[in-house]
Amino acid sequence: MKYFLKLGFVLFVITAIASGILAYVNSITSPIIEDNQKKVQEEARKEVLPAATKFIPDSVVVEKVEVKDPLKKVSSDTNNLFRYFRCFDENDDLVGYTFEASLYGYSSEVKTMVGVSPNFTVEKIKTISQSETPGLGANCMKEDVQKRFFNKKKDEMVVDKDGGTIKSITGATITTRTIANSIKNSLEILEKNISEIPAEVPEKDTREEIAK
Amino acid sequence: MSLIKEFTKGFIKENPVFVMALGLCPTLAVTTSVENAIGMGLAATFVLVFSNIFISLIKNFIPPKIRIPCYIVIIASFVTIVDMVMHAYVPALHKNLGLFIPLIVVNCIILGRAEAFAGKNKLIPSIFDGFGMGFGFTLALIVIGGIREILGVGQFLGFNILPKCYIECPMLIAILAPGAFIVMGLLMGLMNLKKKK
Amino acid sequence: MEFIGKIFALAIAAIFVQNFVLMRFLGLCPYIGVSKKLDSAVGMGMAVIFVMTMASTFTWLIQTYLLIPLKIEFLQTIAFILTIASLVQLVEMVIQKTAPALYKALGVFLPLITTNCAVLGVAILNINENLNFLGAILNGLFAGLGFTLVLVLMAGIRERLDKAEIPVSMKGMPIAMVMAGLMALAFLGFAGLKF
Repeated sequence: MKYFLKLGFVLFVITAIASGILAYVNSITSPIIEDNQKKVQEEARKEVLPAATKFIPDSVVVEKVEVKDPLKKVSSDTNNLFRYFRCFDENDDLVGYTFEASLYGYSSEVKTMVGVSPNFTVEKIKTISQSETPGLGANCMKEDVQKRFFNKKKDEMVVDKDGGTIKSITGATITTRTIANSIKNSLEILEKNISEIPAEVPEKDTREEIAK
Repeated sequence: MSLIKEFTKGFIKENPVFVMALGLCPTLAVTTSVENAIGMGLAATFVLVFSNIFISLIKNFIPPKIRIPCYIVIIASFVTIVDMVMHAYVPALHKNLGLFIPLIVVNCIILGRAEAFAGKNKLIPSIFDGFGMGFGFTLALIVIGGIREILGVGQFLGFNILPKCYIECPMLIAILAPGAFIVMGLLMGLMNLKKKK
Repeated sequence: MEFIGKIFALAIAAIFVQNFVLMRFLGLCPYIGVSKKLDSAVGMGMAVIFVMTMASTFTWLIQTYLLIPLKIEFLQTIAFILTIASLVQLVEMVIQKTAPALYKALGVFLPLITTNCAVLGVAILNINENLNFLGAILNGLFAGLGFTLVLVLMAGIRERLDKAEIPVSMKGMPIAMVMAGLMALAFLGFAGLKF
C-alpha cells in the first residue's frame, strides 16, 4: 500500500510543479494572444473600408435561422447577436459598415472581414481566418481571389458554378462558395435591421466610451 | 569525441524519420511548405532537448514503475509551453501547424529518446542526443517539405524557384495527402538504396 | 429523421471524407507497423476503436466539467494524455484478465496505443469542432472505424504485395507508403461529399 502511495505522490508532485509553471507562462502569453486577435480585426477593418477613421461597434439581435445540430454543443447566446461596426470619416459622415462574415467551409471556419457602403454594396473584403486545403481552398487568402468579391451587391454575391459572376478558385468551389454565402447571409441580416438604426454619430463622450 | 558522435548520429545513421520511422504523423502533415517544416522541427527540438534535460536530471528520483507517466507529464508541459509561446509570438505559423503542436507530445521520437537515452544517461550526453535527434528530424522535415513545396507550388520558402509556366500549373498532388505518402515512400526507398551501397 | 441524418453525415465525414489516417495523417505509426498481417490488423483495429471511443468520452467530460469551470484549459494537453495513458493501462489489465489469448496476440502494440496520434487527435478535435457529449462519443467511434477500415485494407494489400516482385530497396516500408499514397488518392475522391 505504502508503495502505491509513494508512486502516486511522485506523480502528483511532478504534475503540480508542471501545472504551476504552465499557469505562469499562461498568464504571460494569454493577454498577448488576445491582443493579437484584436489587432488582426482592427487592421482588417481599416483595410476593407479605408475611408473610415471612426469605428463604432453595434449589434442587433437575430433569430436563429440555422437548424440545430444534435451533435454540436448548444451555442452560447452571443450567436444570436449580429455584431457590426458603423464607420464614419473625420467629418462624421457615414462611410459604411464593417462586419465579420463566418461560415464553415471545407475543413474549417472561414472568417471574412467585409466593408460595405451605406447602400449595402460590398466594397472590399479580407479573409482573416481559415484552415482550408493548402494549394486549393487556402488560396482564398490571395489578393486576386479576394478582388473577385469587390463591388458587388447582395444578389451578385454568387459563384459562377451557381449561376453567378464570381469566378471560383480552381478545385476549390466549396471554399469560394462558402465565402460568398457567408457574405450574403450577413448582408441580409444587415439590410433587414439597419433601417431601424439611426445613421448618426452618437454624442462625443458616449462614442469614446464605446470605442474603448 | 563520443559526445560529437551522440550529436551527429541523429543526422543520417539513426535519423529518426528515415531510418527509425518515428514521428511519421507530423512529418507528413506539416511538410506542405518548408516554412512549416522548419517551424515544426524547431518546436519539436525544443521539447526534445528540454524534456531530455529534465528527465536526465530527475531520473534517480522517479520510481521505475511510473516512469512513463512521469516522462509524459514532463514532455506534455514543454509541449504546452511551446504551444502557448507560438500562439502569442508567431500566430500565423501556429495556425498552420494547428493540431500537430499538441500532438508533439505523442511524437514517438520524444518519448522514445526519453525512454531509450535520457532515462539512462547523464545530463550532457542527453542534451547532445536531444539536439542531434531534433536536428535530424528537422532536416528530414525540410527535405520532404522542400520537395513537396517545389513540386506542389513551385516555391521554396515562399520564393518562386521554378519558371512561371510551372507555377501556373503545378503538380498540386505533391502538397495534398497522397503526395505526402508517395514522396515519403520514394525517399525511404532511396535511403535503403544508399544503405545497401 | 434529421437526427439520424446528422449522425450519418458525421460517420461519412470521419470514415471517408476526412479519414483519420489517409487525410488527417493521424495514427500512422501503428498503421505502418501493424498492417502486415490481416489478423493482427483486425485485432489492433478493435482495440483502437474501443480506446478511441472511451478516450473521447472521458476527455470530453474532463474538458467540460473540470478544465472549463476551473479555467485551466491550458492544462488540456497534460490532462488528456494522462487520461489516455491511464485508459490504455486499464484496458491492458482488463484484456489480460479476461482474454489472455488476445492479450498475447496484440503483444507490445497495446501499450503503444497511448502514443497513437489518432487517439489524442480525436480527443482534441472533438473539442475544437464544438461537439456535444453524444457527438464526441460518436466521432471517436467513427474515427476508430475509419482507422480500422484503412488498416484492414492495407493489411490485405500488403499480404499480396509480399508475393510480388518489388525492387529490393522498396520492399517493406517504402512500398507500403506508396500504397498508402494511392489509397489516399482514391479517398480524395470523397472530397466535398456533404449531407
